[in-house]
Amino acid sequence: MNAPIKLPSGRIDRRTFLALTGAAAMAGGEAKAQKRGGTLRLSAQSNPSSLDPQTGNSGSDHVILYPLYDSLVEWDYTTLQAKPGLAEKWAYPDPSTLVLTIRDGVTFHDGTKLDGAAVRYNLMRAMSHERSNIKSDLGTVAEITASGQTVTLKLKQPDSALPLILSDRAGMMSSPKAMEEHGRDYDRRAVGTGAMKLVSWADNERVVMVKNDSYWKKDRPLQDGMVFQIIPELPTGLRSVTAGQNDLVYYLVPQQKQLIDRARTLGSAVGPSLLCVHAYFNYGRAPLDNVKVRQALNYAVDREEFNKATHGGIAETTSTILPRAHWACATEYSGTFTYDPDRARKLLAEGGHPNGIDILGVGYAEQLQVQQQEVLIEQMRKAGIRLRWERYTGPPTPAAFFAEKKGDILLAPWTGRPDPSLTYQLVFGTGSYFNAGRGEGAPGLTEALLATRASDDLTVRKEAFRKLQKIVTENALHLPLLFRPELTAYSAKVKGYKPNLLGKPKFEDVWLEG
Amino acid sequence: MLANAPRLMLVGRRLVQFVPVIVLATFVVFGLLKLVPGDLAATLAGEYATEERIAQIRESYGLNDPFLVQYGRWLWNAMQLDLSRSFQSNEPVLEQIMHRFPTTMLLVVGALLVSLVVGVPLGILAATNAGSRLDVAVTSLSSFGVALPNFWLAMILVATFSLSWGWFPATGAVRFGADPAGAIWHAVLPSIALAAGGIAEVVRQLRSALIEILSSQYVRTLYAKGLSPSAILWKHGLKNVAVTLLTVIGLLASRLLGGAVVIEAVFAIPGMGSMVVRAAIVKDFPVVQGVVFTMVILVIAINLVIDLLYTIVDPRVALK
Repeated sequence: MNAPIKLPSGRIDRRTFLALTGAAAMAGGEAKAQKRGGTLRLSAQSNPSSLDPQTGNSGSDHVILYPLYDSLVEWDYTTLQAKPGLAEKWAYPDPSTLVLTIRDGVTFHDGTKLDGAAVRYNLMRAMSHERSNIKSDLGTVAEITASGQTVTLKLKQPDSALPLILSDRAGMMSSPKAMEEHGRDYDRRAVGTGAMKLVSWADNERVVMVKNDSYWKKDRPLQDGMVFQIIPELPTGLRSVTAGQNDLVYYLVPQQKQLIDRARTLGSAVGPSLLCVHAYFNYGRAPLDNVKVRQALNYAVDREEFNKATHGGIAETTSTILPRAHWACATEYSGTFTYDPDRARKLLAEGGHPNGIDILGVGYAEQLQVQQQEVLIEQMRKAGIRLRWERYTGPPTPAAFFAEKKGDILLAPWTGRPDPSLTYQLVFGTGSYFNAGRGEGAPGLTEALLATRASDDLTVRKEAFRKLQKIVTENALHLPLLFRPELTAYSAKVKGYKPNLLGKPKFEDVWLEG
Repeated sequence: MLANAPRLMLVGRRLVQFVPVIVLATFVVFGLLKLVPGDLAATLAGEYATEERIAQIRESYGLNDPFLVQYGRWLWNAMQLDLSRSFQSNEPVLEQIMHRFPTTMLLVVGALLVSLVVGVPLGILAATNAGSRLDVAVTSLSSFGVALPNFWLAMILVATFSLSWGWFPATGAVRFGADPAGAIWHAVLPSIALAAGGIAEVVRQLRSALIEILSSQYVRTLYAKGLSPSAILWKHGLKNVAVTLLTVIGLLASRLLGGAVVIEAVFAIPGMGSMVVRAAIVKDFPVVQGVVFTMVILVIAINLVIDLLYTIVDPRVALK
């Protein structure tokens, strides 16, 4: 039987994460002992926004999309570095050309063949379909040609982020025939090449899948089927696993860790994730157009205390938007903003606010979010920052800040993207929706962003990200707080579950005992 | 018997009332949804929002149209039984409602049955022993039942009967048409949790109505004529509280429909309550409007049935 993977106290750093994922692999992997069969029943917090990867709009969809779709590129669980998927290899013959070699012998669930033409069809649709939400992901692609199993992407400018972009929605391949046949209804059909085939999707109820007998990966899938039960309330989801009605629940909050440990029949896994709890700034207008004020906000927060009060102390606190375990993280900036209310007051005075400042925050009305907001109110008060919150329920919250331009800051998580350049581009890029002010946050930012995609050499890219993070940190373009750990609980019969750094669980190595 | 003129007039009056009630209810809900802060198009665009995509959504869903035009379009479609499609899932709203309606109704009917099966005997017991310790105990218990939050009771029931003893499922529901026994098994705990307030209400209303009747002049006369207490209770007392009981059932049914929202969340039951809550949060107004439309029809239908039952129990009602 799997021994539950116990969480160490304190934050999770790179070393701990590697140890944890290794332990998970050892505890559950035991490749020789893997069994096949059974239906894996999962409690999912969110109904998919769509089962068409190109029209979906929620980061929580991925967990349900992964079994249905393979992507052209995959990533390493521990480092998020790109590795072959449906594309068995890729190369940049010159900085503005990306050539993908598509794996031979792969078929979609409807029996049609995956070839270069099918890949081209998918990518063109992602770039041009009126309902595609990922047009900007492929914004650097000028032209796509296909011949046999080879696909060539001509780029408008060098873009080394593309391989990892193709590990996300843009790289998830759907059957062109099915997309043509179903039109708008393809949102609810899903015909990919994945380990599982879609059986049914009852809205806000369940998504049922059955194994793909023609799956191309050796010795996969390990399960006969998967059922995602949509249970929005996390405590109810956890109860469903405790009661044996489901096998696994993911995206739990740290506060539930004690409950899991108390229920002796449950195992759990914790891994860091890219999910960054931070406050977005609207630096397009006063008062946050003033760098001194932004820095003051960053020094006014005691991140360790915030972590203890709101995440049981198990999250990784941060001053950057990437966790320390990430290959592109400029770790020298991860601890830049230490708690220093006196310095914050001084910065406010230098910024023209000697008597303190009023800041209006936008935030979610959910209980755990309100708790975080209240901790920030109290901490910032000591630095002369009078913070108050305007609260909304659910998805209208970010819309109020980004679309309606309400408030000065927004406390909300950023779920991350496989390629870090997209994260920086979307959160800080000029004109990006998630940059509420839409303008360039700091001189040189746009060039620094471009530089992160200019070379496919990882060492060169890492240096480019270091320079970019330096600009973001020095200009305090947001208020990074911590990375919420990905907490998963499962019953004793679930084996082989491994967390990944992206924080979006995959279940390809999971098998059921008994 | 049912089709006499006064009853037909009663049915006619209720049907005439139906139109303004449904227009008013859906208009108010539509207006409230519009008043709730938050840009619907930006909400629908989600985490991949761009200015372009938001504008496109606004255009394709007709969100640029004036408020009255949007409402009028929905109403016109609804009059033709087209409740349009969910903004979120693009599923026809009518189909979604038909899919979930039986689950919620099973819960409500179950809770109503539990309320009556437990509440009526306790109410009779308290009324026939008015002033005794038994009466005090039953009355106190029913006061506790009114004060008891049903979500709290639900969690206690789950912790005890599901997690500790494993007698009942902790979450979910089974469609009655697919597996009647499984559906009832899944509905037991949610129905009991939902019924707590209903039991208390039945007990209190029945007790006070029965005490009033049992202390009236004509009951005294019946005693004087030598009728046994049980004959007085069953033949005369209960017959005369039937109208009160029917009123309580009608009110209770409407209230249980509302209460199902919370219970569905606790037990992760895919019913209409959980559906409308999710839709309201993201301002998916076709779904909210569709559920309100259905609920209004349901409440009016329940009231109509109760009115008709009044006329059977007490024919004077129809004449009034």
